[in-house]
Amino acid sequence: MSVKTLDVIRKRLEERPDELRRARENGLKVVGWVGYNVPEEIIHALGFIPVRIAIGGDDRLVEIGARYASSKTCVFIREIVGAFAENQDPYIQQTDILAFDATCLQNYRAAEVIEYFFKKDVVVLAVPRNFHLDEAKEYFAHEANEFTRLLEERAGAPLDSARLAESVALYNDIRKTLKSIYTFQASKDNVISWEEVYDLIQAGDLLDKREYLSLLTQTLDELKERQHHPVIASDDGDCRIFLSGSLIPRGDRKLIGIIRSVGGRIVGDDLWSGILPHLDLDIKEISPAGVALGYLNRTPHAALPYLDLESDRRLKKLQERLSEFKAQGVIYHTLRYCDPFTFKAKETKNVLAKSGIPLLEIHTEYAGSDYEAMKTRVEAFVEMIKIKSEIAEEQGVLVDA
Amino acid sequence: MGKQLFRYSEANKEKFLESDNITFNDGSTVSPEEIWHYLTEEAPAKYPSAFEVNLYQGNRGSRDETLPTSLKTRYLGLTFSARMEKAKDNGKSIAFIQGGQAVDPYTAADTIALRPGLVNQWNNGLEYGNDINKENLRRKKSKEKAFHDMSFEACQTGGYEHVQAGDLRIDVIAPYTVLRCSDISYGVEAHRHGPNKNVKLLNVDYPLRFQADKPWAIEYFAKNLRRLVNTLDEVTGRKTSENDLLKAIKLHNTGRRLGTELAELWWSADVPPTNSDDRASMVSLGNLEVHGDVQASLSVLKEAKKFIAERVKNGVKGHAVADNPKRLFILGSCVGINGSRSEDAGAIVVGRDDQWSHCSSLVEEVGDPFYNLAKATLEYPYEQSIEKRAQWTIEQIKKSRADGVIFIHNWGCNTQAAISRPIVDIIKRETGIPTYIHERDLHGLRDEQEQNRVNAFVEML
Ligand code: SF4
Ligand code: SF4
Repeated sequence: MSVKTLDVIRKRLEERPDELRRARENGLKVVGWVGYNVPEEIIHALGFIPVRIAIGGDDRLVEIGARYASSKTCVFIREIVGAFAENQDPYIQQTDILAFDATCLQNYRAAEVIEYFFKKDVVVLAVPRNFHLDEAKEYFAHEANEFTRLLEERAGAPLDSARLAESVALYNDIRKTLKSIYTFQASKDNVISWEEVYDLIQAGDLLDKREYLSLLTQTLDELKERQHHPVIASDDGDCRIFLSGSLIPRGDRKLIGIIRSVGGRIVGDDLWSGILPHLDLDIKEISPAGVALGYLNRTPHAALPYLDLESDRRLKKLQERLSEFKAQGVIYHTLRYCDPFTFKAKETKNVLAKSGIPLLEIHTEYAGSDYEAMKTRVEAFVEMIKIKSEIAEEQGVLVDA
Repeated sequence: MGKQLFRYSEANKEKFLESDNITFNDGSTVSPEEIWHYLTEEAPAKYPSAFEVNLYQGNRGSRDETLPTSLKTRYLGLTFSARMEKAKDNGKSIAFIQGGQAVDPYTAADTIALRPGLVNQWNNGLEYGNDINKENLRRKKSKEKAFHDMSFEACQTGGYEHVQAGDLRIDVIAPYTVLRCSDISYGVEAHRHGPNKNVKLLNVDYPLRFQADKPWAIEYFAKNLRRLVNTLDEVTGRKTSENDLLKAIKLHNTGRRLGTELAELWWSADVPPTNSDDRASMVSLGNLEVHGDVQASLSVLKEAKKFIAERVKNGVKGHAVADNPKRLFILGSCVGINGSRSEDAGAIVVGRDDQWSHCSSLVEEVGDPFYNLAKATLEYPYEQSIEKRAQWTIEQIKKSRADGVIFIHNWGCNTQAAISRPIVDIIKRETGIPTYIHERDLHGLRDEQEQNRVNAFVEML
């Protein structure tokens, strides 16, 4: 199934840390960002190199992180803190400035802890919890201006509106191309897998944005050439799984690997390390506030509470995507101490049950010790879905007969 | 075999009867005579757990028999559940709030504001005749309900287990969200899937990161406070004016001032004038919310100052306090160490940051009361950056002449746990005082292991 451009991207990723080092030697600055509502276009337009710091899967770093941020912080943040403590990650080594947002309080605490222990230059964007209210948007617009002001200080120059417009256009193209590519992975006779697309999305966290767009365009062209009309539909006997819940950053492929190993096929996700942040981002005005509000108005992150179940956009989006990608079941991944997603697991399960979609919650951390237990549960879930669809098929045949 | 129960000695009765009445919000009063009767007759039968002589008794404030305030706060605590039931029967509105916030806007809107600990207290008091073990079991069971519907990693469940089960008549869940707590907003949100559709939900959005310096953040929080008052008004059917809020601010400032003066008076004494639990229950009166009745708290608080001044003047030492006890300052939200057992080990708790942070934050009385209240709230020392919070804490540690600092956090309390180490690091660096971080076990039972660690720390001091 190999898509050639993906090999180029893998190679470019290997070369990227050295490239960043050289760029810094030439006076450019790298902004590492961590969070869910950081308006990356502003960082980019100010002439910084944005890099998303999202790593996982290393229990040793989690252990180190716990010494600074306590063992009660989510594993993802503990690993990030641990990585800053160790300072071996090639991207972390290259960051000059860090940009965090306060969407999730644990992310916010990470900013404080990293600033305190590792003396990093940290800029934080506050995020309102009542995100849907007009006054919250007004407040967030101010915060976006403040966030920009702090970055301008570090850039030594004001944000240029024309450059911001260019960055927005570039990022819009990236998002559009990603969405098109995403459809291919879920199609019948697909030539690219969800796993490959997932890696491709995460490559964008690190690569130069212009180059990334051109690589995405090449990927899309290749896909179009090999599959003229991708149709989202099942292949015979596949078990179509949708992945939801806490993010799964680079370095963590435990659950994804297990799903595949037991015969499940992931066909979609609403992970904040996957396609979700690239959806529905509509920037209505070229200004820091305009960009930031575009971010805030997307499908809300689970850390932002919403008090009416019926009109919850996060659940609506999930249901919409499940139907679009013809998913048969949801594996809901919750990381240890990730309250935003863990608190909602049971509720999400109940909501989906009403439309006949089963949900399996996998609560895990980065240690390998739960591998077998996870595998047994995922295997049983995949089996159950297969049996269900066989029965449905048989019943369909009987009805037809 | 029956459990051994503590009884108040008749020898102190006469002195106690000379003390003041308690006056309540609705203008009613209770006399010392009635209080004495309640504490010696009714309460031991209704709530044997509160009188049980047991190592796991969390609070033995009632044992300082010559301090009338001790008996009165005990009375208010033990009658809490019945008083809340009565308030509901009389049509009073009750709100669920967050632990680290003041309640001025709720008072203004004629609503009783209960933080999580008080909601649990209300629920606990509904059942009579339990001993400590049964009481703990009951608490665990009700928490299980919430864990089942949310997450076993939850510390704060927004009162879900009581409100959704229909056990408590709470009208509105409206805490200051994310102030010090990561769980609270998810707990509020969880109510949206519960069967009780009548309870109103609101997050009063407390923004983070250097917010007290940002006029737009103060404006935003002020708008949240207005929205809060409107929501409370929807329940009560009345219209709360700016003037009502100003009046409430003035009332609460009186409480905060008295609470602060009382704490400083206590700290000024050469020997601790009360034990740890009495100190805590008196100082916490300053926020006026602790007994679900602002006026009752105020009347006990006013009188308390007089008793403590007397004790300080005469060099009276609090009940069961060791000679030259090691002075501990406790940090962290919603949880403390076992005061009486720590006293047995030769220590005394001389202060806490929780509750004290907002008690010591006065609100400006001139100008827009919503803006002023928002500003003062965003200035809570507990909510500031690591460095600023630590500096404020150091000041309190110095004022209280603490010998050691314990940062304790509940299992599942991510937000406080995450910064426990940097905070104690700064304290240690700048004061040289020994510190340690302790995590309260899952489900919050005060166990032997925890006490052993506290005792070892005290011994080391
Ligand atoms: S959303 Fe979950 S994984 Fe992400 S920072 Fe918050 S707690 Fe951690
Ligand atoms: S202990 Fe922590 S998580 Fe629990 S209610 Fe208090 S602040 Fe919230």
